[in-house]
Amino acid sequence: MLRKRIIFTLIYEDGKFNQSRNFRLQKVGDINWLERNYRFKDIAFSLDELIVLNASKEEKKIEEFANILERLVDDVFIPVASGGGVGSVDDAKLLFNSGADKLVLNSLLYTNPDVVRQIVKQYGSQSVVASIDYKTIGGNSLVFINNGMQKIDIALDQYIEHVQNLGVGELYLNSIEKDGTGFGYDFDTFDKVANTIKIPLIIAGGAGNEKHLISGLENDNINAVATANLFNFIGSGLPRARKLIIEKGINIAEWK
Amino acid sequence: MKLVIIDYGMGNMKSISSAFKYLGVDEIVTSDKYKDIKSADKLLLPGVGSFVNAMNKIKDLALDEILGEVVLEDKKPILGICLGMQLLCNSSEEDGGAQGLGYVDAECRKFSKENLKVPHVGFNQVNSNPNTKLYDGLNEENDFYFTHSYKLQSNYNINQSICHYGEDFIASYEIDNMVGTQFHPELSQTNGLQLLKNFIDKFLDA
Repeated sequence: MLRKRIIFTLIYEDGKFNQSRNFRLQKVGDINWLERNYRFKDIAFSLDELIVLNASKEEKKIEEFANILERLVDDVFIPVASGGGVGSVDDAKLLFNSGADKLVLNSLLYTNPDVVRQIVKQYGSQSVVASIDYKTIGGNSLVFINNGMQKIDIALDQYIEHVQNLGVGELYLNSIEKDGTGFGYDFDTFDKVANTIKIPLIIAGGAGNEKHLISGLENDNINAVATANLFNFIGSGLPRARKLIIEKGINIAEWK
Repeated sequence: MKLVIIDYGMGNMKSISSAFKYLGVDEIVTSDKYKDIKSADKLLLPGVGSFVNAMNKIKDLALDEILGEVVLEDKKPILGICLGMQLLCNSSEEDGGAQGLGYVDAECRKFSKENLKVPHVGFNQVNSNPNTKLYDGLNEENDFYFTHSYKLQSNYNINQSICHYGEDFIASYEIDNMVGTQFHPELSQTNGLQLLKNFIDKFLDA
């Protein structure tokens, strides 16, 4: 049986990894700090997948980010998806060559669909994750690009259809309002758009404890749960959560 | 031991070479050159992306002739991963259809069951075929990481191990010196490392 997945999202900005809260990033430490305090390679054994996003605001400095990515994923034997500021097929190639197994695209899905199609053609659907940030205001879910700063005039369900038509392989839906709160995922919105979604769905935004992860893993419409919550989950938090989830008999992978 | 990862410009070679490095393989070469491939003890055929593009590149680089010699005549052990596993087979219906290298009697088809989310992404359980060496030291059922839209099927005994997603499909095959996995052992945690170790240890160097 296909297993559900637990994904950790690491957010990088100008040399530092971050704790995000409603898309306001709080700098936590650089890669040495991450390795020193969190023995990242051990934590990877509690994860099904890792996402590493470049949220550097000024200039994306993709080469510097690619170097950090390369160092981070050495000896990590899980799938790594990466993105943030990818604007061309060359940027995509750089991240793939730096250890990304999949690419995460966000603003480009709106600003340059042709480049998205080219990347899909070259690397295959299964190599491209479409990331969508949204806010729900007055019952309407609105889509934002550029690190959540710019609203676009397409409703969430229509935008989901648009990105699926570009041939992407997975969808990463992130609630800006729930992001970093630890109050739990936005299931109301996920359930509302579930019928539109024909590809695997990763949910993000709001997980604060293992109960939140479990409620996502038990939802039939959801294929994977993601968290970027460094404080709650990194360290012993994630290994403990995974052990508990396996003990509860929830459908996630096991390895020797 | 010299492992040559065949480079035809498609696929993430970094994860694969990093896994073999971790397992202590002393010489890992990424190359499309005859002299490297001819001198290899073991070969790895990676690949992600389109079957048709991959076959075109393989022919442009004359890798079909080189592989014919070293795999079919010299019998060097070769492991194909994901698209690499499919390329060793007869054909694929991807992009209107194309012929593969034809060393293994199997065909590639799209997942077609209604309401099935495609691509098939994530860890899934593989029932290991007891007549194989690939799964030595692992359980009868093991989780491996998949990410693909096309899957392999065959009417022949190619020592297939089976996985289920909407329908049964071939997760791996093993015929003499030729082995292939639809899943990515290099992305499958300790289960995958054990399988790669078996490929290094249990298949005789050519």
